[in-house]
Amino acid sequence: MENIAELQHVSKIFSGKKAVDDVSFVIPSGSVTAVLGPNGAGKTTVLSMMLGLREPSLGSVRIFGQSPKHAQVKRRIGAMLQEVSVIDGLKVHEVMSLIRSYYPSPIKLSEMVHLAGFKPEELNKRADKLSGGQKRRLGFALALAGNPDLLFFDEPTVGLDAPARKAFWQQADELADRGKTILFSTHYLQEAEDTADRILLFNKGKIAADGTPDEIVSKLTSRSVSFIADMTGEDSYAADEMVHRMRSVPGVRDCMEQEGRWVVTADNTDTVLAAIFRYNIPARDIRTGQGRLDDAFEIMVSADHDKEAVS
Amino acid sequence: MKMLLMQCRVEMLRIIRNPYYVFWSLLMPIVFYFIFTKIVNTGIDNVEAWQAHYLMSMTTFSVMGSAIMTVGIRMVQEQSLGWAVYMRITPLPGSIYFISKMFGQTVMHAFSVIVIFIAGFLINGVHMSIGQWIGSGLWILVASIPFLALGTLFGTMKRVDTASGVSNIAYMLMAVLGGMWMPIDSFPSVLQTIGKWLPSYNYGAGVWSIAAGNAPDLKPILILAGYLFLFMVLSMYIRKKQEAV
Repeated sequence: MENIAELQHVSKIFSGKKAVDDVSFVIPSGSVTAVLGPNGAGKTTVLSMMLGLREPSLGSVRIFGQSPKHAQVKRRIGAMLQEVSVIDGLKVHEVMSLIRSYYPSPIKLSEMVHLAGFKPEELNKRADKLSGGQKRRLGFALALAGNPDLLFFDEPTVGLDAPARKAFWQQADELADRGKTILFSTHYLQEAEDTADRILLFNKGKIAADGTPDEIVSKLTSRSVSFIADMTGEDSYAADEMVHRMRSVPGVRDCMEQEGRWVVTADNTDTVLAAIFRYNIPARDIRTGQGRLDDAFEIMVSADHDKEAVS
Repeated sequence: MKMLLMQCRVEMLRIIRNPYYVFWSLLMPIVFYFIFTKIVNTGIDNVEAWQAHYLMSMTTFSVMGSAIMTVGIRMVQEQSLGWAVYMRITPLPGSIYFISKMFGQTVMHAFSVIVIFIAGFLINGVHMSIGQWIGSGLWILVASIPFLALGTLFGTMKRVDTASGVSNIAYMLMAVLGGMWMPIDSFPSVLQTIGKWLPSYNYGAGVWSIAAGNAPDLKPILILAGYLFLFMVLSMYIRKKQEAV
């Protein structure tokens, strides 16, 4: 499989501060990758270096094996930038024709109109008079004007309402089905989880995790077993003793009481269950659970805040 | 080539659709011309020469304005709206983008020149030889290049408000002190000395000579060339510095 993009030890330093810190990854052809992270994690900086808008301070960025500034690269990429940018003084269909004229083998104008979902009367509107949502749709059609192999969407759904957001991801899914390689940034965890086949989790300019949405979840979230323990009956167990025993089980991180239930967090829930039976813990209503990516994300970010507070 | 033509067409469309262009570059100079040659009695002896002279003043006033204002403010707008950034990720070479901007602007200037010349002919029956008309028009177009460069210099500013404020003030000061509104001879001598070194005065001086039946002097050509060099170097230097991010 051809590698569409390759970043090697890329850093970007803005006035002494590292916005991107030694980042390396490879984007294979046909993949849908989410660059996920909180604000200021370096997502947009990474994307703008891949688009040739910024020069990396260190390391190398190659798109289709070439510098992103190369004209041949620009003919094969399309992008929706974070800022909604619309040229003034031109009608919608004029903007579309203009951008089409830049590419050697553009898609048909009618196809662009279809992608943007514009009605005939909207085509004659001045582009700068469009609403925010309409500008986004125009931006989407413009990104596809050159029939690109690689698409960048920087925070594509910020400011969209729920139906518009859903419609956007449906279109993105269709593009992925047609074999386009897509890289998008988002801080909506749900979007990354639903649309991407790979997540690059950014935090403080570094890749904090890289994998499928499932892998990210299992890597970042601990699983848990919770149960109600009967501590008063005949063969009752002292709570202290139980906690002590559970904590000594390999892989168990914690054992504590929460709202009447005992919660054991561990890497592997099977060993916890085995331990419950081995030690004859009077447990009933046993449930196993797994944190969602949302939670994982929160944990990661807040863990980082804690570290900051200490240092 | 197809790209260049398309781009030029688009740039011209954008200028003509701009209501400020129509007002400042066409309507204002013609109204001024009408007022100062028809209504206000300037008490100048040679009325015909004055009418031709003032027609040139107003045409240079118009073209200088749209060169400074349209180019500069538009560039800041494109920068601040993110459109300029978007253009950098398309395969359109930056050089073609810039050339078509300047070319489109010059075509619009030619249009302004023709409209204002016709207005002068209709209002006062200004009489000049074909050679003088064409020579004046060419001077106004070619000698507007330093002002385009000044426009790109203002175009490096960050905010539209600042750019339009600064370029408005520069435009008006240069127009008045450069003798475009009233002949520089009527100024106090200090202002005359300053005025004669301004690009606006030298822009006018060349075409005033042509309208009076003489060839332009070498001095205004050299001074304008000097300003062109200065504005280009400054504008490129600032742009380089901004892009180094």
